[in-house]
Parts: sequence; structure tokens; C-alpha cells
Amino acid sequence: MNSSSKEPVVICRHLSKRYGEGETSVHALREVNLEIRKGDFLSLSGPSGSGKTTLLNHIGGLDRPTSGDVCVLGRQLGDLDKGALADLRLEKIGFVFQAYNLIPVLSAYENVEFILQLQGVNARQRRQRAREMLAEVGLDGLGNRRPAQLSGGQQQRVAIARAMASEPAMVLADEPSANLDSTATEDLLNLLNRLNETRGMTFCIASHDPLVIEQTRRRVRMRDGKIEADEQAC
Amino acid sequence: MKRFSLLFSLAWRNLWRNPRRTGLVLVAIGVGVWSMLSFNALLKAWSASSLEAALKNMTGQGQIHAPGYLDDPGVSHRLPPLSGNLRALLNDPAVKQWAPRVKVPAAIQSEYETWPVTLIGIDPVRERGLSFIDTAVSKGNSLDEANAPGILLGRQLAKRLHTGIGKRIVLMSQNGSGGLAERGFKVIGLFSAAPQIERSEVFIAIRQAQTMLDMDREISEISFDLHRPNDLPHFIRRLRKAAPDLDIESWETLRPMTKAINQLMNGFVQVWIGVMFVLMAFGIVNTLLMSLHERVRELAMLQALGLRPRLIFAQVTLESALVVFWGVVVGMGLSVGTILVFHNGLNLGFLARGSEWLGAGRVLYPKLVVSQFIGTGVLVWMLGIAAGLLPTWRMVRSVPIEAINRSAT
Repeated sequence: MNSSSKEPVVICRHLSKRYGEGETSVHALREVNLEIRKGDFLSLSGPSGSGKTTLLNHIGGLDRPTSGDVCVLGRQLGDLDKGALADLRLEKIGFVFQAYNLIPVLSAYENVEFILQLQGVNARQRRQRAREMLAEVGLDGLGNRRPAQLSGGQQQRVAIARAMASEPAMVLADEPSANLDSTATEDLLNLLNRLNETRGMTFCIASHDPLVIEQTRRRVRMRDGKIEADEQAC
Repeated sequence: MKRFSLLFSLAWRNLWRNPRRTGLVLVAIGVGVWSMLSFNALLKAWSASSLEAALKNMTGQGQIHAPGYLDDPGVSHRLPPLSGNLRALLNDPAVKQWAPRVKVPAAIQSEYETWPVTLIGIDPVRERGLSFIDTAVSKGNSLDEANAPGILLGRQLAKRLHTGIGKRIVLMSQNGSGGLAERGFKVIGLFSAAPQIERSEVFIAIRQAQTMLDMDREISEISFDLHRPNDLPHFIRRLRKAAPDLDIESWETLRPMTKAINQLMNGFVQVWIGVMFVLMAFGIVNTLLMSLHERVRELAMLQALGLRPRLIFAQVTLESALVVFWGVVVGMGLSVGTILVFHNGLNLGFLARGSEWLGAGRVLYPKLVVSQFIGTGVLVWMLGIAAGLLPTWRMVRSVPIEAINRSAT
């Protein structure tokens, strides 16, 4: 099936973001129009300051635009309050951050379980799901370790398992390979690729790492807060 | 409920991620609560001791006088011998004990000095436990019955008069017929008490006083104690009904200064608790802010993952509730320990004269009042939580992206 025939997960229209006022203000996004469709494996690339992370934050409802709007799964984010945005993220969006951002006082297993617990999934299903997800990302047997006892690559895998555990409609990843060596980056991309192909999960990855960009099937390039190119990989 | 258990478990673990800081906070709150409770118990003991000393100083919980005696405590204002309803009421089971007294102004004269005093005629048997005099004789003998010969002087008065055990002095006062009463007594004992009492009060047997003052069986006052001090207002109402012509007053009216000191002590305790709490609140808020500042990125991440702001607020508040709770428990434990150490009495012998001058006894007995303990603990706990609400609320109000950026710099 052609990508454009799939239903849109995210629609950004005339999205602009300006930080600060007057002469010192910075335009992080300028009139960005973007549609992300179900099953997309998309990278947002561009130099530092091009607006990738800002765009990702707007798609995830972590920031409010100066003008324009973002629609995620048919819901206008501008109409939602903080609580409703949190609920949307909890139920529909998985996040993977550059610095892993695991909860340090919880084990890997509990970190994955955390989202499910917030969603009110019962204990038996929670445990089973967390076990499956850790096995899926290759961390079977390391579930009882706390983040500080895991390597950077392992921590990022836990973060991915956590993001995937609730089977979100979309995963947003901000520079997921920034703290990983090339081998760990390759492993990570293979994992994301496999999850995209086998589960049909939508990925939007902000990165300036060529290794990451090469692996994605849709490549959106940004510069100065604008979309410079939006290409499908051959 | 499921979310609460998740937040509780997270809050509990967060508490111990920096054991040194948590330990310091626990110690700070613990010492604060300890000082509040122990100081409170000590001041209450002091207050109780000074009240007991005041009541034992010939006051009792209540007194009965002839009208006008309190304004002019002379022999002309005297009570007839007890009879009828009044006697029946004083023998009521609610009354622990009572004693009649003759109490008039007099002058005492030795070979060297003359000095104004209050002459008190007592029934030594009835006075036991009601006033200080039966246990205060530190040299010589006590009076042993209502017609015993001899006089008891305070040590300071004896020194001032250059007299002592076995020597004779002369007492002078106005008698019941308006004439001069004058009689010699042999000093049989010296008593120790607060300095002003040692200098101003002398004791003889009540029959001797009545004979000397030509009072027949009349008396100046009746002092009484009840088994339950809380029944005093009601009992005084009953006495007034039975003897409407007499002056019947409680210690609070007779000793307004003692009442004021008691109230002052209680007020001081409240001020102390307030000051300690403000100091603790600064510590709690400071620690909470430090902890939030360190974890702002993590808390923002929790919001990004879908934790509603009110849940993050609840989680951080739970953390402060837990740390304050354990701090209070530590403080209460220390206080119980301190009070147990001194439950047989805290001897203030090293400042005995000072404590007597202030009206308290040499030994204080700090007591553990469970309701007060728990009340103070709960109050500190709740105020401690309240102190952390504003910084937590402010943190939760900041949008996630700002928090993430702030911690990243």
C-alpha cells in the first residue's frame, strides 16, 4: 500500500514557534507543514538549531506553537489542557529521549512496567508485557538491574521497551543514538526497523546522525525552522 | 488506589536515593520535634511544680474566709467554729483534705531585732499533705499536734533575728478583743522554703494561737484540696450556696500571679513551638527545592511520559509527607527517651535557690501527655507538608519543555 494512502497520524499546519520577544526573538519553526502517516519510519534531520527537536516537542504536545496547529490522531493539541495532553501521551505516544531518561530508582523491568501501571493494566498482564518487551529488545535477564547498572546502549533499549510497552500509535525519538557508539547505534536501528516492520508502528526520529538517517524510509530535512526536503528512500 | 501505590512506592524509593540528605533532614526535623516536645514537657513540669509550690504555700486549691478578711487579714475578720452544711460539705468524699488556720499579721521580737511577720496557727495533723510545712522543717522538730508548744521559724528569719533552736522569741499581735496579745515561744524548729516565705511566715499550733489571740475556737481561714482539681469550680459553687455569707475563692483568684505565670508558661511553649516550626519549615522547603532542582529533568520526563501534573504534585508531596513523618517519629522517639530518662525527676539542685525563688521545686517531673504528643506530631507533620506545597505546585506548573531545557543547561 502506498504511504500516502494510509491514514495520517500527525498533521502540522503552518506551524510556527518563536522564542523570546523583539529583536532577540528566535524563530525555531517557520510555517511548517507536515503529515506523518501510520507506519511511517521517518527521520527529521538537519544541523543544530534547524528545529528538529522543537518540531518533535510540538508533535508530542510538550510545547505550544506561536501560531498554526498540530493534530494528532484527529485531536487538535491546541484544544487540550495539560492533563488531557498528558493522557494523550500516556495512551498514544511513546517517547525515547537522547539521555535515556529512565527513572533511576526503578529497575529496568519496573521502568517498562511504569507506563502500563499508569494506564491501569492489571499486574499479571503488566508483568507479562514487560517481560516480553525486555526480551524483544534483547535484555532478557537484565530486568532487575537499575539504570545505573546498565550500559548506555542497554539503557536506551530499556527506554525503547518502555516506549513500546503500551503499544502506542507513534514513537517519537529525539537523537536516540547521540550517546551510543556505532555498533550500539546499528543494533538500535535494527531493533527500531524490526518493530516498525513487524508491528507497523510509526516512528519519527529526530537525528543528525547519517547512520540513523540512512536507515529510515522517509527523510525530512530541516533548516532554519523550515522543511527543506521530504523524501521517500528508494 | 493503584496509582497511589505506584506513587507511594516511587516516593519511598526517591526518599532513599540520597540517603545522606534524607538522613540530615530526618535529624533536623527529629531534633526540632524533640526540642518542641521535650521543652514542652519540661516547661509543663516547671509550671506544675510552681503551681504545686504555690498551692502548698498555705493556699490549697480553695479557701474560705470571713467577709473582708482578704482586704484586711486581721483578727477582726474571723470565722465562727465550723458547723452544719459547711462542715458536711468539707467532709464530702470529693474533698481530699481540709484544714482550719489562724492567720494574722504579727511582730516577732528576739533579743536583737523586731520583724513583721504573718503568724499562722495550724493543726499539724490536718496540714499534712495540704501545705509545705509538715515536710519543710530542716532543723529541730515539727509541731506534732494542735496544741503543741513552740514556734517554727524560717531559716532566714532566724538568722535575721540572731536566734535559733531552743531560744525564746516574743510574738505580738492584736487580740480578738482589740487589745494587744503578746506571748513568748521557744523556737523548736527551723524550716526551709522560698526566701520570702522563710523571712515572713512563722508557725505555731492553732490552739496556742487561739488562746494567745483570745479567739476561743474561731479561725481565720479554711484551706482545702479536692481529689480532682477539675471539679473545683463546681465545688466552690456548692460551698457558696451552703455558706452565702462567706468569701469562698479558688486559688486562681487568691493567687492571680501564679495563674498568670502558668498562662505565660503555656504561651511560651506555643511561641517556642512556633519558632521551631518556622526553622524546620525553612529546612524542609530548602531540601525540597534542592531535591526538585536536581530532579527537574526527571520530573519533566514523567510528564512527557504521560503522568498528569497533579500526579507529579501528589508524588512529590508524598515524598515530603514521608520524610516529615519519619522526622516526627524520630523526634517523638527521642522525646520519649528523654522523658523516660528523667521520669524519676530532673534534679535542679544546682540552681535550687534560683528555682525556689521562681517558685518551682528542686525536682521537676517531666510527663508524657500522649494526646499532646500526638497532637504536636500531627500538627508538625501537616504543617511540614503544607510548607512544601507551594514550591511543588510552582514546579508542576512549569511546562515540560522548559523544565527539560533548564536542566540541560
